[in-house]
Amino acid sequence: MPYYSLGLEGSANKLGVGVIEHPLEKIAAHNHANVLSNVRDTYVTPPGEGFLPRDTARHHRNWVVRLIKQALQEANIRPDQLNCICFTQGPGMGAPLQSVVIAARTIAQMWDLPLVGVNHCIGHIEMGREITGATNPVVLYVSGGNTQVIAYSRQRYRIFGETLDIAVGNCLDRFARTLRIPNAPSPGYNIEQLAKKGRHLVELPYTVKGMDLSMSGILEYVDSLAHDLFQGKKNKQLIRADGSKVTVEDLCFSLQECIFAMLVEITERAMAHVGSREVLIVGGVGCNERLQEMMGMMAKDRNGSIYATDERFCIDNGIMIAHAGLLAFRTGTRTSLGQSVCTQRFRTDEVFVSWRDD
Amino acid sequence: MSSAIVAQAQSYLSGIPLDVISQGAEAVVFLTTVHPYLSGSMHPSDIQNSSKYIIKYRPPKTYRHEVLDKQLTKSRTAAEARLLSKLYTLEIPAPKLIALDAPHGMIWMEYLGFELPNGQISSLKNWLWYLEKQQEGNTTASIALADSVKQVLILVGQAIAKLHLQDIVHGDLTSSNILLEQKKEGLQPTLIDFGLSSYSPLAEDKAVDLYVLERALTSTHPVYSKTYNKWLLQGYEETYSKKTNNKRKYTEVSKRLEDVRLRGRKRSMLG
Repeated sequence: MPYYSLGLEGSANKLGVGVIEHPLEKIAAHNHANVLSNVRDTYVTPPGEGFLPRDTARHHRNWVVRLIKQALQEANIRPDQLNCICFTQGPGMGAPLQSVVIAARTIAQMWDLPLVGVNHCIGHIEMGREITGATNPVVLYVSGGNTQVIAYSRQRYRIFGETLDIAVGNCLDRFARTLRIPNAPSPGYNIEQLAKKGRHLVELPYTVKGMDLSMSGILEYVDSLAHDLFQGKKNKQLIRADGSKVTVEDLCFSLQECIFAMLVEITERAMAHVGSREVLIVGGVGCNERLQEMMGMMAKDRNGSIYATDERFCIDNGIMIAHAGLLAFRTGTRTSLGQSVCTQRFRTDEVFVSWRDD
Repeated sequence: MSSAIVAQAQSYLSGIPLDVISQGAEAVVFLTTVHPYLSGSMHPSDIQNSSKYIIKYRPPKTYRHEVLDKQLTKSRTAAEARLLSKLYTLEIPAPKLIALDAPHGMIWMEYLGFELPNGQISSLKNWLWYLEKQQEGNTTASIALADSVKQVLILVGQAIAKLHLQDIVHGDLTSSNILLEQKKEGLQPTLIDFGLSSYSPLAEDKAVDLYVLERALTSTHPVYSKTYNKWLLQGYEETYSKKTNNKRKYTEVSKRLEDVRLRGRKRSMLG
């Protein structure tokens, strides 16, 4: 009988539940994992507002039972067939994480199953590798809370570069708030659509520091430009070369061009450093087609290739937690009830990668 | 590497032979045999190698918006060239600047280094690897930790200190960005690749500079890195201690270095 696990994810405003099946023998190119179900519910706030921990936690508590039932039903799996319950142990927002951990502990005790705590970032990386078939890529992990360039070495996913202040998704989300554009399906998606109509590049600060980058200054800068634009204040930066006025679309376009160029640059630096030709993009911002396109051009210049997934696996989901958790479970990892405390700070390189031996 | 990049570089330098030595993230390094404006055997007397020159080329990045790309290439190339000429006037060992074409992202500079007995270029990394290889299986003699190694690492520390005393931080110190040269007084280290350098009076930035090198040594020379690093800091301190008012600066940097080590350059992140 194959292995089955159920994964629960709720580190930010998405609540995800997934059931995965691993065939016996080692997971490899010819021995794929099967996604049996992958359901998600997103807590969406009105335009101009972000999601607060307390409200997000309440959303997760209200939905978690329904989603678990739905996931099991879609997968056509009974609780007694499962091998383990996997949950996000961190990093993330405290209150939402806690709500989901409580749900995980409850069903684990009800159904008498072992618990496996999973690092959220590791979940993204392992699912990305499984779906795309990339063997040993440099990973760019970009989401609302994280911005990291990661490469594998001796059983750890090591962080080569990361943001020194806010994450790229956070930067985009907060700019969307300034513009008061809808948060559904996601603020970043709406910025991407506006950016497609932008043509004029407004000069923004470009802040790459070695392999790290900084984005809070860029956000402040583009925010103040947007305020000037809305209030009709005179600003040289808001006049195009042909004398016409800069639009909101131009600002979205410029913001994307600037921060994505920074991301691609640090990724390229990491690829040159470790001598890799594969690059994998994971995390919510990884859905952005312009980012994928830019990364593809960089990879082409290095005779390399790019791997990316779609919104089912890029955006936070339960299936990646189920997958990474099951990999750990199969190499002997268990999280006892006493150890199942979640943490807001949980670095990618703290996890010992027992399931890889290359 | 993409042949389009070589073709593009060649189109700016018609008739000049180009051999690719390495491709980094940002630039491609070419080796050429001719001087940009002197012909035949003519060459400036203070240039070490009259038959070899280095061309560092920052190719256009197709993924970047054209306006942004041109501006970045031009400003970074010009900044690097400015820094090289500054180092020359300060008499800090570095490759000498020969020519600059900032809009096309090209810098010509002096060729430094020599071939090690195993045929590789004499970077500190290659030299240490070469010695470490010899050390393997030899328990009687100390090769990887010989006095000559100690001497070179102390000199490296001194070179970094000289840079820092001028408020310049290198930004990308690794053992492959340090070249060794054969001089009368023995092996002399020279720092290269100032592509990420900047001016900073802060002890923090200098400490990070040292920490980056420390980490690079740990990952490339894991067995001996502790001793190497000790020698390096010894040399660093020596240069700072030559003047009494620099001693205070040294204490500041070394205190900061301990802080940086503790926080591991990267703080714990909120998810």
